[in-house]
Amino acid sequence: MTTATHAHADHEHHGPPSGLKRWLFSTNHKDIGTMYLVFALIMLFLGGASAMVIRAELFMPGLQLVQPDLYNNLVTNHALIMIFGAVMPAAAGLANWMIPLMIGAPDMALPRMNNLSFWILPAAALMLILSFVVPFFPGGGTQINTGWTLYPPLSLQVGMSMDFLIFAIHLLGVSSVLASINIIVTIFNMRAPGLRMMQLPIFVWAWLVTAFLLILVVPVLAAGVTMLLFDRHFGTSFFIAAGGGDPVLFQHLFWFFGHPEVYILILPSLGVLASILPTFSRKPLFGHHSLVGAMIAIAALGMIVWAHHQYTVGMSLAAVKYFMIMTILISIPVGLIIFNYMMTMWRGAMTFETPMLFTVAIILMFSFGGLTGVMLAVVPADMQYHDSMFVVAHFHYVLLPGAVWGLFAGVFYWLPKWTGHMYDEKLAKTFFWLHVVSFNITFFPQHFIGLAGMPRRIVDYNVMFTEFNMISSVGAFFFGISHLLFLYIIIKTVRGGEKAKARAWESAQGLEWEVESPPPHHTWTTPPTIKTA
Amino acid sequence: MMSRPEYPPELRRKNVKLALWVLVIVILMFITAVPFWVGLFELATGVR
Repeated sequence: MTTATHAHADHEHHGPPSGLKRWLFSTNHKDIGTMYLVFALIMLFLGGASAMVIRAELFMPGLQLVQPDLYNNLVTNHALIMIFGAVMPAAAGLANWMIPLMIGAPDMALPRMNNLSFWILPAAALMLILSFVVPFFPGGGTQINTGWTLYPPLSLQVGMSMDFLIFAIHLLGVSSVLASINIIVTIFNMRAPGLRMMQLPIFVWAWLVTAFLLILVVPVLAAGVTMLLFDRHFGTSFFIAAGGGDPVLFQHLFWFFGHPEVYILILPSLGVLASILPTFSRKPLFGHHSLVGAMIAIAALGMIVWAHHQYTVGMSLAAVKYFMIMTILISIPVGLIIFNYMMTMWRGAMTFETPMLFTVAIILMFSFGGLTGVMLAVVPADMQYHDSMFVVAHFHYVLLPGAVWGLFAGVFYWLPKWTGHMYDEKLAKTFFWLHVVSFNITFFPQHFIGLAGMPRRIVDYNVMFTEFNMISSVGAFFFGISHLLFLYIIIKTVRGGEKAKARAWESAQGLEWEVESPPPHHTWTTPPTIKTA
Repeated sequence: MMSRPEYPPELRRKNVKLALWVLVIVILMFITAVPFWVGLFELATGVR
């Protein structure tokens, strides 16, 4: 990146409006960003609670705490809440907070639509939670036992809770699409004069690519679940074999969305790392343009490999070969990103504050998750691994380091900017070690029990898997507890602490560090001056 | 005060225009999801 950030911060200094109205009617990107982040944190604890029940149940073989249907309902809800309720809104929170600050824009391009994008989310979350609890009431029907993939014919047989879930997915989709439109328009139209596209920070590029992915694939999921709704209530047979339909068609529709969704979750976090690494390595980012290219390549390839989730449905040999080769090809742009990040650190004057610790852990653990991904991409191997705990271990190694840790790293990196206070570094490092070690204790053993044949999404298991499941569950409990420490650190930082400078980290570069910490309610009402090196 | 930055009318028009174009992509993706992205693929390859 060759942009020098010589800028002058000329801002309005009147404060935000007070009371509930500030949040209900806010069109301010910082307020909306904060609401997204708080919402995501609440959902993280909800999704985490269901994970704790799942791991408590799996502590021992046999049925302890929950019945099979409830177990499957928990598995479904855990995934949907974490993906749609926690990770995506948290990434949107970072986008709302940081993109206007990073590109020198006074706000998002469409501020009122920004408010709408957020406030659809609580309604969607309510629907999602209702889909979980409705079966507990008289006449509430059966529980959602399909997993987050909602495959028919099972999803056609579930009770009314499935309708709540379909409605929740529609609402979540509308929210995501509106937010994506806003981000695209903001990045294209609202950049400070002189700030060219190829000078944008990688975080902004990552979000631009993510927003395009969202507008391309979310409508396909919406179409799929709408067809599901029609099959359930309006006599159509899109997915009903007896009526001439094809249940596998839904799998294609779902994974046409579902695989790019993985990159939707990961790319913003990889973008965060590109901000953190130069700061704590005290070196410029290595290969800015190639990182942009790699992210576009990941998005493009990510959209044409969906059926690697369906090797076992009986596709033709030509098709599985194509999907295998294209899937393995994705490791090239991903490897390039990892290489560039390592080269940024190479011979740098590195220090290991919490955001940097997370970054290094992500590079290690995410690469490991990618490695098991290559294993799963290989058709004959996948025939064995499919639907086993190995897959569970794989995608948790991808999504926790690749998405969630990147968000944690971003929160710690920008928290001084948002709150005007430095967080407690000692506590944050304690959180990091507790979180990362317990994560590995939880998910590493699952590779072995998966390879040994333990299926996923089954409440009970063979006694031969007991020890590893016990280890995994103990790790999960510590992992869950670590998030309470995270919450405490956030609250403590918001309430006070050492004052943060405008440039909270001495080597931080970028327009966001030119404004005060915390920034005034309105920033860049006069655009910054961009000096190109 | 529920203030927000007032954008020049020209910028507002430009923003809305681009937003509508992106919305067109969204609508096209929704209505063509089956016949184009998946149906065509299935027809062309026999993959199910």
